[in-house]
Amino acid sequence: MTWDDVVVSAQLPEVIDPISYERVVMNAGTTWDYVPWHFNPQYAKDHGHPTIFVNTMHLAGFIDRIATDFGGPHSRVIRRKVSLLGSIYAGDSMVARGRVVDKRIDTAGDAPRYLVDLEVAIFNQRDELCCPAEVTVELAG
Amino acid sequence: MIGTRTEPRFAGTAVSGARIQHFASMVRDPNPSYWDAEFATSAWGGLVAPPALLIGLLMPPPWVPDGGPPTASIAVRVPLPGTAIINAANDAEYLTPVLEGDMLSVVEEVVSVSPEKTTRLGAGHFIETRETYYRDDGTVIAICTNTLFRFTPAGDR
Repeated sequence: MTWDDVVVSAQLPEVIDPISYERVVMNAGTTWDYVPWHFNPQYAKDHGHPTIFVNTMHLAGFIDRIATDFGGPHSRVIRRKVSLLGSIYAGDSMVARGRVVDKRIDTAGDAPRYLVDLEVAIFNQRDELCCPAEVTVELAG
Repeated sequence: MIGTRTEPRFAGTAVSGARIQHFASMVRDPNPSYWDAEFATSAWGGLVAPPALLIGLLMPPPWVPDGGPPTASIAVRVPLPGTAIINAANDAEYLTPVLEGDMLSVVEEVVSVSPEKTTRLGAGHFIETRETYYRDDGTVIAICTNTLFRFTPAGDR
């Protein structure tokens, strides 16, 4: 994807990612985040959750995957803002839907930066919005 | 504690390809910047750490041999009641890529603490912190503002 090819308001392809218990356990292990919500189903149930759920880094990683799948391997996420509205539990699916909000050239630094602003929202399989995000991706130009 | 900046907290080891690829495997992200050393070196100067992993790269391990408790995030150390934490929002700016071999540190600051709020999870406080991440040459690599809800679960009161 080049910056010239980007169409503002274009929809990104929907991506569905089923989240198994293995993935949630990997989530705690890969991020070293051992808050009990993320590995202890009994703790989660004792505190009103159906079971363990993924952490912010997993959600952010999925959002970044959507963004750089769009921008290509020479693109990089330079900003991401997420709100945690609901949890993705083991056994759920993450459903990402996104669109291009804007494209712009940042001339504030030494070299121009070719930027694309995306909205990416993560829903669960019941179509409940769990994590809306604003993402800015820098393209190669 | 509002406005207080912590001393730098250092990662115990350099960023490793193993952690990069374990995380990318967990997310199922095929981006060659994480997997293909030749491509990544050509494009970025080395294997790239997924930006979303950055907080994890500064997480202390849950056990260390000297027996001292791992240093937790400043949001957990603010003298407030509340036995559980859950994240509410995160806004991160990534100024330069983090590469395999980088040595990282973070400085944290409490930006604000809300009055007590009662949510469906329980009663507690929203704590907003700002984390500034550094490479060992002093370069700021990322700035992250995080809002965390620290609370006493309703069933524990």
